[in-house]
Amino acid sequence: MKGMMKGLGVTLKSLGAKKVTHAYPDVPIQMPDRFRGIQYVSEEKCIVCNQCARICPTECITLTGKPNPDPEKKGKVLDTFDINFEICILCDLCTEVCPTEAIVMTNNFELAAYSRDELFKDLKWLGDNTENIRQDNNNIGAPQRGGAK
Amino acid sequence: MIRTEELLLNVGPQHPSTHGVFRIVVKLDGEVITEATPVMGYLHRGTEKLAENLNFTQIIPYTDRMDYVSAMTNNYVLVHAVEKMMELEIPERAEFLRLIVMEMQRIASHLVWWGTYLLDIGAMSPFLFAFSDRERILELFNELCGARLTYNYMRVGGVKWDAPEGWIEKVKRFVKDMKLRLDEYHNLVSGNEIFLSRIKGVGKYDAETAIRYGLSGANLRSTGVKWDLRKTEPYSLYNRFDFDIVVGRNGDCYDRYLCRMGEIEQSIRILEQALEQFPAEGETMGKVPRVIRPPGGEIYVRIESPRGEIGCHLVSKGKAEPYRLKFRRPSFVNLQILPKLLVGESMTNLVTILGGIDIVLGEVDC
Amino acid sequence: MQRFWDQPLTWGHGAIFIAGAIGVLAFVLLFVTYAIYFERKVIGWMQFRKGPNRTGPLGLLQSVADVAKLLLKEDTIPKKADKGLFVLAPVLAFVPSFVVLAFIPYSQNLQFADLNIGFLYYIALSGITTIAIVIGGWASNNKYALLGGMRSAAQMISYEVPLVISVVGCVMWANSLNLRDIVASQGSYFWHWNFLPQIVGFAVFVVAAISELNRTPFDLPEAESELVAGYHVEYSGFRFAFFMLSEYVYVYAIACLTTLLFLGGWNPPIPQLDFIPGIIWFFLKFAVIVFCLFWIRATFPRLRVDQLMGLAWKVLLPLAILNIFITAAYIELWGMGG
Repeated sequence: MKGMMKGLGVTLKSLGAKKVTHAYPDVPIQMPDRFRGIQYVSEEKCIVCNQCARICPTECITLTGKPNPDPEKKGKVLDTFDINFEICILCDLCTEVCPTEAIVMTNNFELAAYSRDELFKDLKWLGDNTENIRQDNNNIGAPQRGGAK
Repeated sequence: MIRTEELLLNVGPQHPSTHGVFRIVVKLDGEVITEATPVMGYLHRGTEKLAENLNFTQIIPYTDRMDYVSAMTNNYVLVHAVEKMMELEIPERAEFLRLIVMEMQRIASHLVWWGTYLLDIGAMSPFLFAFSDRERILELFNELCGARLTYNYMRVGGVKWDAPEGWIEKVKRFVKDMKLRLDEYHNLVSGNEIFLSRIKGVGKYDAETAIRYGLSGANLRSTGVKWDLRKTEPYSLYNRFDFDIVVGRNGDCYDRYLCRMGEIEQSIRILEQALEQFPAEGETMGKVPRVIRPPGGEIYVRIESPRGEIGCHLVSKGKAEPYRLKFRRPSFVNLQILPKLLVGESMTNLVTILGGIDIVLGEVDC
Repeated sequence: MQRFWDQPLTWGHGAIFIAGAIGVLAFVLLFVTYAIYFERKVIGWMQFRKGPNRTGPLGLLQSVADVAKLLLKEDTIPKKADKGLFVLAPVLAFVPSFVVLAFIPYSQNLQFADLNIGFLYYIALSGITTIAIVIGGWASNNKYALLGGMRSAAQMISYEVPLVISVVGCVMWANSLNLRDIVASQGSYFWHWNFLPQIVGFAVFVVAAISELNRTPFDLPEAESELVAGYHVEYSGFRFAFFMLSEYVYVYAIACLTTLLFLGGWNPPIPQLDFIPGIIWFFLKFAVIVFCLFWIRATFPRLRVDQLMGLAWKVLLPLAILNIFITAAYIELWGMGG
């Protein structure tokens, strides 16, 4: 009997306790800076090194480059960049290896869609995903600039 | 003519108390189980086979998804295997961070178990109590590594992120609160006579049976065997801290309950000491070759996950990908004893016993 | 109302009866709607949640929305179910639960039918609901439902016995089965109410009553974690709503009965508070009991079947019988109460 009474006491006490629920989606949830949300891709910064596509464990990134239109400069610029969010697991490895921080995580996480096609995001969409971009991108695993073989 | 026959009942794969997509085919005589056959594999994703085509950094997110209630320990067992094979040195601060997150994860995992177990037994509030506290751990993890469930936090040679500013203080505050909350948990259910009568003496086995079935974790310790890899084969920094192995005596569900609750207490003790000794500064990433290529050979490492002994058997041929990677998943091994325990029990005890074993289906099916 | 019963039945009287019944039904539906709402709120608060707060102001329309959803839902009957019985079961569950409300007095004068066998009437009719649950479990042609139905039959039959016997003490005290007489027999101060002199009977009654209601910790027939939903696992839409409704109407009935039998009905706790109308006292006590049911639900785990039966036959029944003997001895030695 004593144990049951104690239990009743605990529930009665929590009757007036502070509630822990969020008013999401009325009040959006503020995620910490390191949050791994949908990636932002910067067309200018990308050097088409393919590191992100190679490190991706689920192979959800496909990208193609084209020769730099400016004949003065060497290298390639980004032509297409697609992430398939059906299989992306938001593991953060692509942003970790990117030598130029062209691909960065944002704090946006709302990916729900009515159709699978909408989950296939292209360069334009990813480039416009400029809100809540992660500030401090600690790319520990990234090789030094130009170090990629 | 009245004819009696056994009732063949499919429990699962969609059933509130099988903790995922697990199925038990039971033969019932009235409400008494005469035969139980577990059927699994509904969540099989072939992690081990997939790993053979991935390099070691890429495997880490896959380990998150094995035991999704305790992803940090899974991360650790993989990186630990690779590090041991390559004989890497891990900076102290990184090792401390790993240990702290692993112990927090143990608390979080036991909280999930506690809540869902009580839900199985029919009490609703403990579930919400446990999850509101687990939420605080997840928030802290979210701040640390940017995800709430699949952390992908550890790397071969260190950890991905250093602790953000003020994080250690937040953990300290959490640990302090958690102690009080644990007392509240005990007040809420641990003394409840209905609860005690439900789990005392249910699902009993002795130490010998437990060892014969290869059980580990609280399932083994509840029979009185002092076996905790953190103590018996210290890895990481566990030999620096002072804590006890919680053991039971009777090997029933009640002892398993007490073991797990005691482990939360011990984890809090470890955390308190670890947070006190946390080095003020230091590297979080050791010197690691750019491409991780363990030398050829085999290695088996094991650590204590919240569910028991999680092992990683790594066979390498000197490539960036493992030749073969095999995980010894504690849930899978612990589940073996289920058909034996269920015979002669009622439908109600099925739920009590299955919950008491504490399985995570992601890990069972891997 | 009483005077109409004594006169021959005419069209006018019949209309009054029907109007009265509709009035009670409306009131009960209102109660059920907000009992569910408050149950969810109270349990939510106890679990650091807010409970329903999205539909209407403060979520007040939540239950209304739920009922509307249930009524609009497609009516499904499993292909291999016994159609006739499957359809009959929810009706059979609800009708007795509503009919038992007829005899409950809310205050000195507010009563639908003044039955001299009051309490017996309740027991006799509420037993029919058990049959409905067994029928529902059987007709669904589902193994979980069958197990739930069987459990329910065993449980409700077992607990009806201590429930009735625990009240016998009160009946002896009042020398009547009529609920108004029982209320009248309870003294004017709250320590004279039956729950103190009849403390054993009260305890047995409360436990047996919760069990009769199939509520936590005795919710085995629908034990979610084992039997998924028990006897109503195949029911959906408005048929399910009827099972749900009858369950809550019984909550209403049992809370009324507890108030009347043990808590002095519409009497104030001390006679000095007489200026507050009896009906308010009645519903205050009623609300406290209903709150306790929610509170218990938020705290306790569920019993096991064998423990449940053991409790009924080995603990509650002997206690209830003991209570009768004690009451009888007391009356013999010191005379009647009241």
